[in-house]
Parts: sequence; C-alpha cells; structure tokens
Amino acid sequence: MEGGRWQSRAIMSQPRASLWATEEIDEDLQVDVHLAIGNYGQNGLYDDAQPRIDEATLVAVQHQMAQQAAFAQIPDAVKRFIVHFHQAVLENNLAEITVAYDSGWNRLTEKHYSKTEWPEAEVIAPLVNDDQLFLILYRELYYRHVYSRLQPDIDDRFHSYENSCELFNYLLNSEDGPVPLQLPEQWLWDIVDEFIYQFQSFYVWRARVKTKTEEELGMLADGSQAQVWSAYSVLNVLYSLIQKSKINEFIVAKQQGKSEAEIAEIVGDYGSLPLYHMLGYFSLIGLLRVHVLLGDFTLALKVVENVELNQKNPFTRVTACHVATYYYVGFCYIMLRRYPDAIRVFVQILNFILRMRQYHTRSYQYDQINKTADRMYALFAICNALSPSRLDDNILNIVKDRYGDQFAKLSRGDEGLPAFEELFLYACPKFISANPPPYEDQEQLAAYAEDPPPEPAQHHLALFLADVRAQAAVPTLRSFLKLYTSLDAAKLAGFLDADEEEMVQQMMAVKAASRSVSRVGNEQNLLDGQMISTSDMDFVINENMVHISEVTVGRRFAGWFIRNTEHAQRVLDGVKNSPLPLAPQTTASEVESKAAPAQKKVAWGMSKA
Amino acid sequence: MSATSEWVSPPTRPELIESLVSGVDRYNPSNVGILEDYLYHQIRSREYDCLANLAILKLYQFNPDLYNPDVVVNILVKALASVPFPDFNLSVALMDDRASNNNMDEPDPLPGLLPYLTNLHSLLQQCRFPAFWTLYRSDALETLRDNYTVEVVGFENSIREVAVRAVKATFQRIGSKRLGSYLDLEGGELEDYIARLGWKFDSSTSVVEVPPNPDNQITSTVVQEDIKLQQLTKVISHAIPAV
Repeated sequence: MEGGRWQSRAIMSQPRASLWATEEIDEDLQVDVHLAIGNYGQNGLYDDAQPRIDEATLVAVQHQMAQQAAFAQIPDAVKRFIVHFHQAVLENNLAEITVAYDSGWNRLTEKHYSKTEWPEAEVIAPLVNDDQLFLILYRELYYRHVYSRLQPDIDDRFHSYENSCELFNYLLNSEDGPVPLQLPEQWLWDIVDEFIYQFQSFYVWRARVKTKTEEELGMLADGSQAQVWSAYSVLNVLYSLIQKSKINEFIVAKQQGKSEAEIAEIVGDYGSLPLYHMLGYFSLIGLLRVHVLLGDFTLALKVVENVELNQKNPFTRVTACHVATYYYVGFCYIMLRRYPDAIRVFVQILNFILRMRQYHTRSYQYDQINKTADRMYALFAICNALSPSRLDDNILNIVKDRYGDQFAKLSRGDEGLPAFEELFLYACPKFISANPPPYEDQEQLAAYAEDPPPEPAQHHLALFLADVRAQAAVPTLRSFLKLYTSLDAAKLAGFLDADEEEMVQQMMAVKAASRSVSRVGNEQNLLDGQMISTSDMDFVINENMVHISEVTVGRRFAGWFIRNTEHAQRVLDGVKNSPLPLAPQTTASEVESKAAPAQKKVAWGMSKA
Repeated sequence: MSATSEWVSPPTRPELIESLVSGVDRYNPSNVGILEDYLYHQIRSREYDCLANLAILKLYQFNPDLYNPDVVVNILVKALASVPFPDFNLSVALMDDRASNNNMDEPDPLPGLLPYLTNLHSLLQQCRFPAFWTLYRSDALETLRDNYTVEVVGFENSIREVAVRAVKATFQRIGSKRLGSYLDLEGGELEDYIARLGWKFDSSTSVVEVPPNPDNQITSTVVQEDIKLQQLTKVISHAIPAV
C-alpha cells in the first residue's frame, strides 16, 4: 500500500491514475488470465477508454480548478467520513470498516446522494493521500451506488469494469503475494455479487440496439473494447479467485475431517487469509450464477458440487449469499426436471428466511432477500404443480395465499400454460445471451434492429413450457384414476372422450411424470441422485386393465406435539427468568437490585446447559 | 447407487475428456476438435456422453466462429435417445438464437432441422411413439435421415430403448400389436426384438409379458410417522436441569 501512495500532482490530475506505473498499465490490468483459464479470445484487455488529458498547462489548470470547486462542494460530514473510512482501511480495523460500510455509507447516501453521484474518486483523492487502494475500494462503492440509484451511462459501465479489474488484479497479482487487507464478509460478497450484476446488466443493455446514441454505437463497434465485460474475462476473475484461495480443496479437506494444521497447509498463503477464503467461496456461488444466466444448468451445478447445502455451512453467515445459492441451485433443478429436489431446496431456504425475518427487518438487504424469496415461492408453486408434494404445508399455504389465482390454474393442463408462463417469467433469473448484436457491421446491425432475436428468457421459457406440455394430461388422468382401484382402459378413454391408444400413451407419460431423479440419501454431489416415485398414486396396466394403488399418509401428530412442547418450554423459561414484576422499592437496597440481573444470567445459563 | 453417475461420468469416457469436462481447459477453444472427435466416436460406437457434448456447445456459445451446425445436429440426435432425461433441452438451452453464422459457404441446415428435432423430442417426451415413427419416416425428414441419423450407429434401436423404458414402467402385460407400434416393428422382427429383451411372448394370445420391476409393481401402503430420538433431544434435555 505504501508504494501506491502517489504524491505527484501530475498523476493526481489524471482522470484515472493507476496503482502501478502508467507505462505498465496494459500488462497490469490483465486479470490473471494465464493463471486460470488462459487468454482465450482476449486481445489485450483494453486501452484506457479516456483519451489522455492534454498536457497543456491551461487545460491542466482548468481541470484542477474544476476539481477544487467540486471538492469545495463536498459537505464536511462526508469529508470527515471519508477520512475516517480511509483511516480504518489503513489500520486494517475490521470493526471500523464494517461500521463505515454498513451504516456510514448508507446514511450519508440517504442524506446527500440519494439522487446524485458521490464525489468522483479523483476529487476526494487529496483527502486520502491519493491512496490508490482506497480509491479503488471507493470507486467500487461509487459505481455500485450509480447502478443501484441512478442510470449508469456507457462510461460508468466501462469504468466500473476497469475498476473491478484493478481491484481483482491488485488482490491476485501483487508481487508480495497475498494482500493483508481485511474487509467485512458482507462487503466481499457484495463485491462479487455486484461484479456479476454489472456484467449481466451490461449484456441486457448491450442487446438493446435501438436506443443507442451515436457515441455509444461507436464505442460498442470498437473491436478493441470487446474485452470489456466479456464472459471470458468474468470467468477468469472468478476462476482465479477460486484457484488462488484453494476453496475447493478446503471444502474437500474439511469434509474428510482433516486437522486445522493440515488444512492450513492445503490452502496455502492465500487461502488461509479470510479475505481470499471468503472471496473464493463467493466466487463459486458467482460462477453458479453466471452459468445459470448463460443457460448452462449442468455446469452451474457442477462448479458448486463440493458445496454442502445445509445450515451448518459457515458461509451462511452472509445471508444474501446463502439465499442466492439456494435460488440458483433450485432453479437448476427445475431445468433438469428434478422438481422434488427443487422443492426441497426452496423449502429449506424459505423456512430459513421466515426464521431470519425478525433479525433482518432493518438490514438494507432485506428488500432484496424478500424479493428473491417471493420469486422462490413462485418457483415452488410451479414445482408443486408438476410434482405435487406435501413436504411442507406451511410453505404451501403461503404459496396458496400469495399466488392463489395462478396456483389454481397450474393444475388445469393446457389451460394452465399461461399461469406457468407468468410465474416462470416473473421468477426466472435474468438470462443473458453470450453474444453481442453485430455492432461492428452497420448492415447486419440494421437487420438485427429490424428483427431482433427473442429475449433469452423467452428461449428458456419455451424449453420449460415444452416440459410442462409433456405433462399436460397428467392432472386430469390422475384425478380420474384416483376414483378407482381398477378400470378398463377403454372405459377410461370413454370418460375422457379420447382415443384408447392415445390415452394409453398418455398413461405412459403420467407414469414418467411420477418418477424423478432426486437426492434422497446422502449424495455428495448436487448432480447425483436416485430414481424415486414422486406421486402418492401409482398404477400399472395389465394388457387393457388399469390397476391403481394409493399411498396414504397417516396423520402426523408427533411433529406438532414436539414443536408445541418446545414452545411451551420456551415460554415457561421466559416466565421463570423474568424479574419479579414489583420490586419491593422501599426495602431493597441498590446492591440487591443490581444483583437481580446477575441472578438472571445464572439462571439462563443453567437452563441452557 | 446413484442413477445419474453414468450420466455425470460415463465409464467409457477417456481420461483426456474427463480432464476437459471437469477442468478449466473446457473453455479453451483449441480443444474443440478433441471434443468433436469424441462426439463422432460416440456416434460410431453407440456410446453417449452428455456432459462432454454440452462442453462443445459451451465453446460454440462463447466462440461463434467455431460453430459447426453438423456437430450441433448430431448432439441433438444423440440427446433424443436420452428421454426422459432432459439432455435435449439442456443442449438447446446453450444454443444462442443469435449465433447462426452468416459467413458460411453453405446454408446452415440447423434452422430448418431444429423445429423437427424439437418436435421429435416432444413426441418422445409425451410417449407418443407411433407418432414419432410416422414423423421420423416422413418425407420432410429425409435430410435428417440421409445426412445424419444414418451415420449414428444404432439410432433407431436407441429410440426403441426409450419406448422400452416407458413400457417397462407402465405395463405388466402388453398386446404385441401395441408394443409393435411403439417400436415400429412387426412380425418376425418384433418377435426377435422381444426375445432379445428377454420378455415372454405368448403367440396364441399375442400378449407380451413384461418382467416385474420396481415401477410396474404397485402396492397400496399407509405411511406412518417415524419419530427419531434426535427430534426429542430438546424436550428430553430440558427435563434434566428441571429435576
């Protein structure tokens, strides 16, 4: 960090000073391409998007004056905050950084920057001694604010990419090995999460040809900019973080029960630092998300094959990460037609969110988590229609409450298709197309604008609806079969007003719909599973006679009884541990009243033991 | 025993392919040839490796220059026989609508064939096997048969296996005419096929007996609640300090 503190005014007045010597800028900004997956399809990272500032003194002076004016406008509270924040980062004081990140930044955003950008990094640079690392972190927050509160323009999009590269490059390719920086876990997650969000946002924005200005068209047609937000460069970052942190090796070693010392040896210099360790894990989840966005559902599950989906996983501390993991894994299972697995994943996380709710009402991420939860309720409704289950009545009731109209329609065969479509489009990830419109070719671009290809979401919707359609006959046939223990096929066809042979073929489809691959035992791998029966009704055809059997579930008393006993115990403990309502004020000395809380602590400790 | 282990990693998969499928080398465009050769090997030798084929499509997705429509059609043809598993849709999901290459010398056959392949797939998914054979043998699909499926060794039998899986799960006994319509076989060919499956064919009644398997044996059961001691730990442990 010491080396990064530039004192020279000349460099400071550049719009985007580099952490490294400017001559080396091209090399330095390569995000560890060789380490991870090679330099495929990358022709140099990018040239500085902004033309060099004219060296002419006049321009320099004008620029400096403009910056000074901008500096003068920064409210004092903000200046103090930045100085304080910088100090916390310099001292690697995690507690102070956390406070600044969690509350300081958001409070000041509400107060001063709810509708405008924060001051540019160059403007506040004098406040932080031009500390390049801090300025990179500052820009990370600056651009995130632009994306979430304002409309990023093309420069913001290019520069936020640049800044992310600088940050990851600094972390991954510092000459002295791992960087001893500490950041709150939440921030580390937000860095990875935002990186992928901006990537996705760029693709969505780029695909809309018609709304581009001349300048934007020019920049997008420029081949030397093709690297910006390319899928390869994003994958490079994520894979590099995964490899440097040795996170996969860590998870495997942990599962094998290796000792702390052995694990420390395995993960090495980088992986034993919390910053790299967490970034490595978050990158796994980031990779899961990127692959889902690009429609590769098997690869998505394969990259997180080592991740254990349970609440004991220490990474559940960052709730947003925990929720995202389940959402994307669950969605993959839907596209793999493994509805029971999807249901189990959604039930787990939705219950977790319900329990966490009380602690999260004040969190700024609460909205985001709630939105994801709503989408998972919708996905649950879809899965439940395709593979009815009584896994969790509580969640099912919330779904019926929230999506009542659609829920009823889902079980109506072909008529239900619009409801499937509506819920799918609402709840699916924001799919992107890997390839840009042909900006480099005017003629092709015009043709593209005239007749744009369908949105990526429509592409995946069509595939999903094909799966739904294959099951369209299932609800009706099932409802008929449930009325009988045996029935002649011709008679059943007569009820349905259908051709007997076609009806028999539909019966095979019904049978297929009641079987699914699912993780029932202790499968390690997310892609593993066994063939299970998913329906409470089964049947078999003996030549022309259909025989039907039903699995009935006896009433469940015990779960209810256990839950309520535990609840009663908690209430009783609560009552026992409360101080007596009327302390005898007249006789009690101060000493005694002080002793009361201490007493309480002991009692609580005992009941817990 | 995992039902998907062969799908995730077929025993026939060579080590080199395994390292590509599971490692970061899968993104290296210069490896596309290895994976394409492996696909053609699968076609000649009745092997199938879905994940390796998806890796080809992934490379096409990121590098439109590599796009080879013949390879894509072959991947989809191979994926047809995996029904009821979702391989076909997983493959299509990776195909970018925008990727169709305009710089090719010959017209791209994929846009013309894709709707038919999708149609064939959904007929299999819906177990409408007779309709599948009718469409497959129709004049409209001559190109597909003459240029693609004819090269895929055992293609028709691999589709019959899809039908056999569905029949095995659904029937205890099935009329031979019905079975024949699913397999697109009749007479001696059908009898030979049934014999090879090891199923019993009663020529007097023309009924085929399907051997018992977990899916065609049904029993009505009542599931009773099963309480594990672990669920009661809180209740029991609470009782101890109270004593």
